[in-house]
Amino acid sequence: MHALRKHIHPGWLIIAPLLVLVVALYLGPILNILWLSVTDPEPGFGNYAKLGESDALLRILWTTVRICIITTMFSVTLGYSIAYAMVHCHQRQKNYMLTLLLVSFWISILVRTFSWLMLLGRKGLVNVTLEDIGLIAEPIAFMRNEFGVLIGMIHYMIPYAVLPLLVSMQALDKRVMDASSNLGATGAQTFWRIYLPLTTPGLVASTLLVFILSLGFYVTPAVLGGGKVLMVAEYISVQLLVTLKWGTAAMLAALMLFGVLAMLWIMSRFMKLSTVFGGAAR
Amino acid sequence: MQDKQFMKEMLTDGAHAYKEGRMDRRTFLALCGASGVALSAVMAGDAEAAADHVVMWNWGGQSEECHGSAIGDAFTASTGKGLKFDTSGPLEGKIKEMVDSGNVTADVADADLFNAVSLGPTGHLEPIDYSVVSKDKTLPGYALEYGVSVILYGYAFVYDTEAYGDNPPQNWADFFDTAKFPGMRSLYKWANGSLEAALMADGVAGDALYPLDMDRALAKIKSIKEDSLYWGSGSEAHSMCVNGEVTMGMIWQNRGRNIENDTDGRFKLVNNQAMAMPGAYIVPKGNPAGAAVMQFIATAQEVPAQLALLDCLGMTPSNPAAFGEIPEDQQDYAITSAKNIDKIVYNDPEWWGENGGDAVNAFLEAIS
Repeated sequence: MHALRKHIHPGWLIIAPLLVLVVALYLGPILNILWLSVTDPEPGFGNYAKLGESDALLRILWTTVRICIITTMFSVTLGYSIAYAMVHCHQRQKNYMLTLLLVSFWISILVRTFSWLMLLGRKGLVNVTLEDIGLIAEPIAFMRNEFGVLIGMIHYMIPYAVLPLLVSMQALDKRVMDASSNLGATGAQTFWRIYLPLTTPGLVASTLLVFILSLGFYVTPAVLGGGKVLMVAEYISVQLLVTLKWGTAAMLAALMLFGVLAMLWIMSRFMKLSTVFGGAAR
Repeated sequence: MQDKQFMKEMLTDGAHAYKEGRMDRRTFLALCGASGVALSAVMAGDAEAAADHVVMWNWGGQSEECHGSAIGDAFTASTGKGLKFDTSGPLEGKIKEMVDSGNVTADVADADLFNAVSLGPTGHLEPIDYSVVSKDKTLPGYALEYGVSVILYGYAFVYDTEAYGDNPPQNWADFFDTAKFPGMRSLYKWANGSLEAALMADGVAGDALYPLDMDRALAKIKSIKEDSLYWGSGSEAHSMCVNGEVTMGMIWQNRGRNIENDTDGRFKLVNNQAMAMPGAYIVPKGNPAGAAVMQFIATAQEVPAQLALLDCLGMTPSNPAAFGEIPEDQQDYAITSAKNIDKIVYNDPEWWGENGGDAVNAFLEAIS
């Protein structure tokens, strides 16, 4: 213990400036938001009480959570297979895949969102082609609804799901799988009982990353939802900029923050979160 | 974007320091050069003029060019002061934030008249000086304590002539009648105009709309929800029509003209029962240029500026003296032209200023 303290002490001095910056520029504004949520328009928990009074707020929160859960499920599942394929193919193909993945990762969310409209809109490429070859009589409503929002969000989130998984899979010792088959396990058994458990930290990391990022989605639901899919980020923005109900906005932001923290806390009950974020599993 | 904002603030501070003598001319010019500002005034060595300007806060794009040519040039000619722009969009929340932060960098915001009603009494706006600005050069009721309507825009609708060839929709009742006129519609997402249109469709007279009967309006909105999309920006409304996503769309009437052009007349604008919205100039409390901004607003009220804005941006004059001078080719699209003025209804900024926040939320909750 004594050695530890001796070891840590000078380190604190070095990170002190950073710590001060973080507190001033990050914690300060967050506290300000929390403060706003209990003081605007009047002191008290009136903003939080609205959650009990207003079905609409609960519906917006439920829409948000529902869309985020579905997005996370699909992005992580698809991401897992992509990462798996990348790890197990030749280096050359892996480089191609990584390039494609990063290119889509770097393209702006607006461009990607509007591209979906061009592809899957009422008069988009897919609908027009299907109509021309006579497969459908009426255009399929891919876009401007919740389905459209999900397509856009899952597509956007897949790179975020792949990258942590890729890291986790690459770090695996392949000899473990060899040992498993050497001991008579089938391919499926090796996957379910060895590979999947060993990649769980990566799986949890990408699930958390995708879910938390999805909570803040703004552009995609606003454009692809046709105005009918209202998620919490857009609602907060309207409360800040248009209706000037900053207390409601702060309350919802605080709720999101505590929701995410609670989620991390629950996860930490079941596993060491440090392994998820790249620490050693000890 | 952030950099632009930073440069702007640095220059504004620099200009103030220069005017107050805290910074020498050479340093100030170097600052202008470093931040890429090549104002003709600065080039000519007349930094005094560069420090002496009014900052207009608008939505950028075409309006930057148009506000410059329609109002800025005349304002500079008569006062010697320049015009600069902040194009980040003066939403109510942003104005409030700017004033509350104490760092006011804009002099006049191109906003809505209802913003004057909601932000004025809370101390976020400077009152309009009616010894400089004229109450007669706008419509009655549109010259308020904290804001004056300089232009009008309108909520009208366009329809697809190929979908409804022989029997086109003529009013909001037709717009909301999905049995007689099948097809998708698009409405404005932030409630303005959409609520009034719903009430008129439900039989409320255009001059008896206010106070809005919210329950009745929302019930009507919900009745066509399955056949509706909602847009948040003019370009979104535009693309919904041009890309064939809707067969009828509520639209700002100047956008309606663009849609007619872009679809070679396939979509047609209907101005019957269009709602005139007072676009207003409001002044954030503690604006840097002080009282000089009132002359800018007065300049914008003049007939030449009004007609130039119509020509450049499609924004309709609010000065009655300009109504008679609306040119022939703008008659169909200007909401106060002789052709349209008897068919339109007028927005009540007082009601929207007092109830707008709740109305927008109720609307969003109804459509989501």
